[in-house]
Amino acid sequence: MRITLDKFFTVLTGLAVMCMIAALFVILGPMIYRGLGAIFFRGTVEFRKMQLAEFEHGNIEKIKQEDIQTKQARQAVYNIIDKFRNGIDAEKLTDQAKQIDRTFGKELQLQDTERERYQELRGLSRDIRDKLIEAFSSTDIEQIKKHIDFVLRYESDERFRKTSAAQYFKLAHEFAQASEKIDFEKKDLYAGELNELEDIIVKLLGPDPNGNKPVLAQKRYGAARWDQAQKLMHELFWKEQWIEQENSKTLVRIETSRAEQFAGTELEPLFAYIKDNSKKMLNPQITFYWRYFLDDSTPGHYFGGIGPEILGTLFLTLLSMVFVIPFGVISAAYLTECSSEGPVIRVIRMCINTLAGVPSIVFGLFGMAFFVLFFIPFFGGPSQGCILAGSLTLAVLTLPVMIRSSEEAIRTVPQTYKEASLALGASKFVTFVKVTLPAALPGILTGIILSLSRVAGETAPILFTAGIAIGPVPDSIFQKTRTLSYGSWDMAVSDKLAAEVPHNQYGMVVTLVLLILCLNALAIMLRSRVFKKLKGH
Amino acid sequence: MDNIKSEKILKPAVVFEQPLVLTFTQDVKGFLFRYIGSFLLFLFTFTSVFAVLLIFLFVTLEAFPFLTKFGITDFLTSTAWYPEAKDGAEFGAMAIIVGSIYVTAISLVFSVPVGVLASVFLSDIISFKIRGIVKPIIEILAAIPSVAYGFFAVLILAPWLQKNLGFSSGTNALNSSLLLSIMALPTIISVAEDSISASGRELREASYALGATRFETMFKVVIPAAHSGIIAGIVLGMMRAIGETMVVWMASGNAAQIPNPWWDLSQSIRTMTASIAGEMGETAKGSDHYRALFMIGLLLLVMTLMLNLVSEYFLTRARKSLGKV
Amino acid sequence: MPKRNNNDMVISVVKSIKDKYDTSELEMIDMEKIEQTEPYNSTLPEKSLSIIKADDFSFYYGSKAGVKNISMEIYPFMVTAIIGPSGCGKSTFLRSINRINDLIPNIHVEGKLFVNNQDIYSRQINLVNLRQQVGMVFQKPNPFPKSIFDNVAYGPRLQGIKKRSVLQQTVEESLQSAALWDEVKDDLKKSALALSGGQQQRLCIARALSTRPKVLLMDEPCSALDPIATSKIEDLIETLKNDYTIVIVTHNMQQAARVSEMAAFFCLGELIEYDLTTKIFSNPSNKQTEDYVTGRFG
Repeated sequence: MRITLDKFFTVLTGLAVMCMIAALFVILGPMIYRGLGAIFFRGTVEFRKMQLAEFEHGNIEKIKQEDIQTKQARQAVYNIIDKFRNGIDAEKLTDQAKQIDRTFGKELQLQDTERERYQELRGLSRDIRDKLIEAFSSTDIEQIKKHIDFVLRYESDERFRKTSAAQYFKLAHEFAQASEKIDFEKKDLYAGELNELEDIIVKLLGPDPNGNKPVLAQKRYGAARWDQAQKLMHELFWKEQWIEQENSKTLVRIETSRAEQFAGTELEPLFAYIKDNSKKMLNPQITFYWRYFLDDSTPGHYFGGIGPEILGTLFLTLLSMVFVIPFGVISAAYLTECSSEGPVIRVIRMCINTLAGVPSIVFGLFGMAFFVLFFIPFFGGPSQGCILAGSLTLAVLTLPVMIRSSEEAIRTVPQTYKEASLALGASKFVTFVKVTLPAALPGILTGIILSLSRVAGETAPILFTAGIAIGPVPDSIFQKTRTLSYGSWDMAVSDKLAAEVPHNQYGMVVTLVLLILCLNALAIMLRSRVFKKLKGH
Repeated sequence: MDNIKSEKILKPAVVFEQPLVLTFTQDVKGFLFRYIGSFLLFLFTFTSVFAVLLIFLFVTLEAFPFLTKFGITDFLTSTAWYPEAKDGAEFGAMAIIVGSIYVTAISLVFSVPVGVLASVFLSDIISFKIRGIVKPIIEILAAIPSVAYGFFAVLILAPWLQKNLGFSSGTNALNSSLLLSIMALPTIISVAEDSISASGRELREASYALGATRFETMFKVVIPAAHSGIIAGIVLGMMRAIGETMVVWMASGNAAQIPNPWWDLSQSIRTMTASIAGEMGETAKGSDHYRALFMIGLLLLVMTLMLNLVSEYFLTRARKSLGKV
Repeated sequence: MPKRNNNDMVISVVKSIKDKYDTSELEMIDMEKIEQTEPYNSTLPEKSLSIIKADDFSFYYGSKAGVKNISMEIYPFMVTAIIGPSGCGKSTFLRSINRINDLIPNIHVEGKLFVNNQDIYSRQINLVNLRQQVGMVFQKPNPFPKSIFDNVAYGPRLQGIKKRSVLQQTVEESLQSAALWDEVKDDLKKSALALSGGQQQRLCIARALSTRPKVLLMDEPCSALDPIATSKIEDLIETLKNDYTIVIVTHNMQQAARVSEMAAFFCLGELIEYDLTTKIFSNPSNKQTEDYVTGRFG
């Protein structure tokens, strides 16, 4: 019994550790996997077009050629949609008919037709037009046939030959053809569906090449990534619906095939075509987007990289290091070398511990109240959040880390080094600078790297002091900056647009995490090397 | 210098070329250098004290007008938090304070058993080699920035909870306290493991020699002996959890309510840190709301300071008791 | 310690010095005068034969005495060994001679310790000059984690010597005096930590010699070394005593007997006996010393 309990206990402790390791992998695994998608992915021609237009990267000639090729492949899609539209889009058809009537009238005027003949033709044209419009808006197949037949009676009429009015008949034929395949009960439904479909196609292939250039950058291009494109195609093929169950509140998701929905219509071949030719239309290629770390981004991080964020993080952390290193190292030197334990030193140590325990958000408050509203304006700076205020706040935050690690580093320098130096007639100061400090340097460096990683990951202290979600790259330390940590928060919670591009969302946070993990790995390696050296000695 | 030897042969009594006594200028210089230098160094070192004082001063200064205007009773006992109401804004922070304590307590429920068991595992069960592998993993857990934990909580864990446990919202007390417990673990483990492994082999050997199993040795001898260090670790973990901002802000749902019933973890709550982080951006500098948020900050500061003192007390006790062993 | 007339000792010391050096020009050493002088005079003679003199010297760590009431003189160009059981204060005494013990917090001294007729625990002492001229070799070899050259050049550089050629010469001389030159002359750039333990210790000796000290304090210099390295160091001490005054602390009595001319026996922080080494080892006047050197205690 006791033995079983003991075994059980052993297993339990092992389980606890396994839990932690599992937590680490559960947290980091999916994030890193998805985050890597921001750099390694299959980029479509839209991606290359975007890169060329927004960031001027890429081979112009090649991309132009690619563009032409893909456009050819895409033309069929547009053609099919146009054809189908003719069958159902009464408004558009009506417009077309009216347009024909107007052009015909003008044509007649230009030809100086006799007044009588002119009026006769105009009247006839108007009749045809009205009948057509009636046919377009009708849902009764018999009625439509009647109207179309009426129109087509004039097809062989000499007077309309070789005039623009001939287009009436083309329109009528097309409509007749389309209407044969259409279930007119569903005409309105089709119109709605078609709009949905066209929206997806715009997302997939980019906006209509003949239309205006959209204002928002994210609407200027189609699916830039193959995984995005595949998702869109799935949406295109399968309509997603949430259906209420009879006796429960939960909605159940079902997917219906769009191809079946449009079965028998002019649109049916579209799905097969897109399925078969998707690669031709988008030309996906495996892309290693290393410029992700340098590029700026379009608003909302829809396209582009995280260059400004990385830059801002570097600015902020390095500047804070500039402030904290002298204070940290000197404090550590004083605490280890110059002072004997007394009440003053005890107070200082207690304050260092207190400082280490202050919540980061309180540092944020302090940074705002002191640095932003008091300290920087006191010296004539602007009273607003800026890199300087942020890095000063972060410097205060990381001061205890710096002091403790430097102190430890200085303490691990063997006393014998100092004695040897002093015995050679060096003063305490010279001994510290020439012997202790160089020997403690790897340890201090470890401390610096650890503080660096701590500072790089902090978000709360820069919320009110330096962080910003959208903005230009700062050109002085008196401006706010984007940072990786602030951006990660923003993209996860506040930015709706970012939610549409999970790879960019995850790419940002993974960059931050990997940056910090690399720094930590470096610190661990450095430390183990120092220990080995000291042990070997 | 070069013909010292020959000089010595002539004069065997040793000549000290450099005087052993300081000249007056050397003396004064040395004195000034030593005292001014050490005073300067002291000033640098004193920045830490200075920083702590400044933090208290400035947070208190900003919060003080709130205290004089609204008093502290309502702030602590009312749950009505309507800071932006046009007329008669109310600043009852009780729900927020309870929220902070609530998630912290729940996170400790998860992290303390795991932390203590894991530190026993690390100190007493595995070989030194495996320890060398597990330790860096704990360090990595500690190094991951809180915003990344928050990111995970809101974008991966929350949808998963919603889908698989049928919660109405994935951002709730359970989600945030789970993440907080993971974040508190490294702190708890490192301090607790230190004190457990420092509690001496003699103690263990004495127990094993009497025929106790490992389980009995651990729970009847080692853990009682190391309890001060373990408590200190737990308090430090608690500080980390209560002071954490990003995770709770992103993952707790941010509804200022006292959880009712208290055991229902799927409710969303709001903590002190999240309130400051979430609302400070929308307040006007110097408004009542702004000052109320500073008041919360002050309260948070006082709470962590107190926890810090508690942890220090237990750490010194741990150090003393180890000194005896 | 009972005061006793040990003029015999002094005479033998002076004789040994006279044997080695041509002292005809010296007025200072006058045999007759010395024979009449009362040793351990409380007032310091104007010119003393000794280079280091402890006068009722006590050293305290906090309230605990490291050594107490030591009175002894150490003579130039001789090897003086300090022996005794561990914890008897022999290292403490040695380390107070160049005030390296100052590093330890909460210490204080009583009595006087003279180096070159100067009380080194008076306030006005130039510690830099003192330590430059009273060199020290430590128990464990402790070269700096730098190159061999930089290790030896550290002392001269502190004195402000920057010229490469001068440094080079000093380094070479020091290494030669420490009998290490032939072994390392080809790779002076190598890290000092790559040397063997014995070589490291000789490097430390060379480093201590580089500042041209007058006195060399050695704190159990061979305790961390193997027998071969130890004998090399002992040979080195033998040659160094021609130019330097050496004070060596050792717990190895054979070593003390081999290398030293004078020996002091410390026990529990007190000086029990101080005499010629031959006398200490063959015919000690104190029972405790006898017990110790014959191996009955300690």
